[in-house]
Amino acid sequence: MKKSKWLLFAALFSLLLVLAACSGKEDGTATEEPADTDTEEQAEGAEETTEDSSELFEVSVTNEGEAIEGGILQVGMVKDEPFQGIFNWELYEDAYDSELMSWTSNALFETDGDFMLTDEGIASLDVDQENNKATVKIREGVKWSDGTPLTIEDVILPYHIIGHKDYTGVRYDTQFQNIIGAEEYHAGTAETISGLKKIDDLTLEISFKQLSPSIFYGGDGLWTYAAPVHQVGDIPVAELIESDAVRKNPITLGAFKIDKIVPGESVSYVKNEHYWKGEPKLDGVVVKVVPSSSVSVAIASGDYDLVTSFNATKMEEIQDLENINILGRPELYYSYVGFKVGKFDTTQNKVVTDMENSKMGSQELRQAMGFALDIEQVSEVFYNNLRERANSLIPPVFESFYDGELNGYTYDPEKAEALLDEAGFVDVDGDGIREDQNGEKLEIKLAAMSGDATQEEIIAFYLQNWADVGLNVVLSTGRLIEFNAFYDMVQADDPEIDMFMGAWGTGTNPSPSGLYGEADQYNFSRYTSDVLQSAVVAIDSPESFDTDFRAEQFKIFQEHLEEVATTIPMQFRYEIFPVNKRVKNYNIDYADATEIHEIELVADKPVAN
Amino acid sequence: MWKTIVRRFLIMIPQLFVLSVIIFVLAKFMPGDPFTGLITPQTDPARIAELTEKAGLNDPVHMQYLRWMGNAFQGDFGLSYTYKRDVGALIGERALNTFWLSLLSVILLYALAIPLGILAGRYQNSRLDKTIVLYSFVTYAIPTFVLALVFLFLFGYQLRWFPTSGSVDIKTQVGTLGYYWDRFYHILLPSITYAILGTTGIIQYLRSEIIDAKSMDYVRTARSKGIPMRKVYSKHIFRNSLLPIAAFLGFTITGLLGGSIFIETIFGYPGMGQLFVSSISSRDYSVITALVMLFGFLALLGSLLSDIIMSIVDPRIRIE
Repeated sequence: MKKSKWLLFAALFSLLLVLAACSGKEDGTATEEPADTDTEEQAEGAEETTEDSSELFEVSVTNEGEAIEGGILQVGMVKDEPFQGIFNWELYEDAYDSELMSWTSNALFETDGDFMLTDEGIASLDVDQENNKATVKIREGVKWSDGTPLTIEDVILPYHIIGHKDYTGVRYDTQFQNIIGAEEYHAGTAETISGLKKIDDLTLEISFKQLSPSIFYGGDGLWTYAAPVHQVGDIPVAELIESDAVRKNPITLGAFKIDKIVPGESVSYVKNEHYWKGEPKLDGVVVKVVPSSSVSVAIASGDYDLVTSFNATKMEEIQDLENINILGRPELYYSYVGFKVGKFDTTQNKVVTDMENSKMGSQELRQAMGFALDIEQVSEVFYNNLRERANSLIPPVFESFYDGELNGYTYDPEKAEALLDEAGFVDVDGDGIREDQNGEKLEIKLAAMSGDATQEEIIAFYLQNWADVGLNVVLSTGRLIEFNAFYDMVQADDPEIDMFMGAWGTGTNPSPSGLYGEADQYNFSRYTSDVLQSAVVAIDSPESFDTDFRAEQFKIFQEHLEEVATTIPMQFRYEIFPVNKRVKNYNIDYADATEIHEIELVADKPVAN
Repeated sequence: MWKTIVRRFLIMIPQLFVLSVIIFVLAKFMPGDPFTGLITPQTDPARIAELTEKAGLNDPVHMQYLRWMGNAFQGDFGLSYTYKRDVGALIGERALNTFWLSLLSVILLYALAIPLGILAGRYQNSRLDKTIVLYSFVTYAIPTFVLALVFLFLFGYQLRWFPTSGSVDIKTQVGTLGYYWDRFYHILLPSITYAILGTTGIIQYLRSEIIDAKSMDYVRTARSKGIPMRKVYSKHIFRNSLLPIAAFLGFTITGLLGGSIFIETIFGYPGMGQLFVSSISSRDYSVITALVMLFGFLALLGSLLSDIIMSIVDPRIRIE
């Protein structure tokens, strides 16, 4: 959820929302407080990010005026339902809870513009690739919000929560099992996780089965949050999720601490005097759920200093307001169109590609379908350019791995027709619709998720795009499909589906494993090949500790999929943040975001329009 | 009469049983499950499978049903998959919110509709009557969300007379007078919206009943005995005209917990209507079944209450 979080464009792909937001937020919290980077290379990267995003939006704003003493920051969180209120990093599920926790934060690490862990945070990471070990060292003198010192036990505890047999969250996964002893602990045959070794009060050594570059992004099983042993250590894991320590008064490490909660509606925070970076300049923060139907008016009325999860399609309602600045940045997201070219063999747990017997087996056909889509026009007309044609399956935010030179499938109906002619998809019976290579009628079934009225129009437009090049594409089941049903059908390789339109929130680790590997259930197009599989494996292999090698593998991955076109990227999108002119400084750049304890206000109340 | 009431309660048992079977099976027919929405590229399919297995969702439906039944008999409706809380506590919290909102709505509704209906009936065809009838048609035609949004923008944001969202301001201290006032203040605008939109039925019923009653023999008798018109209306006509409204009173009372998805969503008020809709879209089975059972029970109870109320207000009706 907070993961759901999950959120920008309610219209399109309502589930995607869930998917995209979830993952985006999951790791996004770490980006709340990134530190300045040390190396020149990274610093340059940060500047580029700024330039890229500023093509459309500013990523930072500075408002004139003398800062007032303290003050309460008013934050509106756009959401049409109550929030869940699971204030615990190990247990929460949706993006909204993660957003609420970002003010209190228990994050040990900070990240740079590439979302890699830095040494600027509470903890630093030292990786011993040879021996598959990582050492986490925490700063001395860091205190919890109740004044208790942070110890290494607090860093170890989360592993024993996630690994516990009574733990019901999604985070006990294959990555977590990469920690030596995690499986034994989960099975109940060990009291503790043997791979966790306390060196001293500030140092923890973790042994892994196999390390990959993912560890530098907080992956491979490394857990990047602390949990207060003196508060939750004695609560049985099964009871944790309903306990007051999670629901009402969590003890935290961040700049603010929770003061009061109105369940599902609002949370008020006061500053944490023990914050390790110094006392926050604000007295407190109030985050309130705002219904999407009235958020634009609320912004105009000056009810909020910051608005999060703002639906980009409402951009027009606020773009002329004078009491706010609108910041924007590219999201960790892409939407795509996928073609079914095989099946998932559940007994052997692997993807079986069968181009020969797939209706979408022709590479030219798939490519032509990509060229035929006028996504540029859709982005402009329906999304006010808050979305743009995607050229790659890696969002451009990941500068080190994104291949900007890929052409992607830009709108080119002539090329589409030429490709189809060349591959033998020609109209033999003269009805204006192309037949397949054997001269048989060709009907392609597209599965698309339901959304709002716009979604219907967009899909109708795409169908027309394909009809324009002579392809008969119809909707699977005859209509748009509700998101749960959509993923059920796509995952089950339903024969009603020849192709489908979906989207992914990538999270902060750009690795394609999980989505394009040969053993991946979420490899929905069911395409795998030696080239693809070797790139996917190499990206997370020890060789990839060499960033150049890893970048090269990413390039191979992107180029290969562009060529075979089993999954064609459609759109990237921007997320936007309305910021009231009362806020003195605010920056949402992934590489250089404002540290929340440094936010200041220049007036007693938010400015009304 | 007591016998009848007990019998009606006994009949409810098979009725609710059938309802529970239907809703349980239908809920499982929905595509996806509570874990579908958790999937991200980082989610491990093996873990999702493990959680599904642990939750017992892979068992045959009848097994799941029996397990659910067993627990439900002990008052345990399970944990919400979405909120990870005891379903009873979750519904209780929302039900309380919805109850206060609905109660105020219904009070305002009757306070508005009954006088209007009486006036319209008494002064039939006058300008006043026509205005009231026009009003009731207009409000009948306006979709809830339109009026709710207009009121919110006008009275909430423009005039600043009312708070714009939520059930209470976070600054107030729980338990103080200010807290209860603030809660009342927060439900006032949604209640007014609801009341204004709901008047049509009552006004129309009351109006036509009064118009009918005016020509009744007992009214003529009362008049001929020299009872003043005012008294005839308040003592004779009014009581009889309320019968059809009393007939719905039972449903109105139990309907207090139903909630309104539109009002709740627009005013950001956590209530039952929203909980029901969101539990369906997130496949929160335990919440769906508990809510449907609750609503089913309330509907049955409402019809019983209505019958009882009718027998009290109209001595001609006897429950046998």
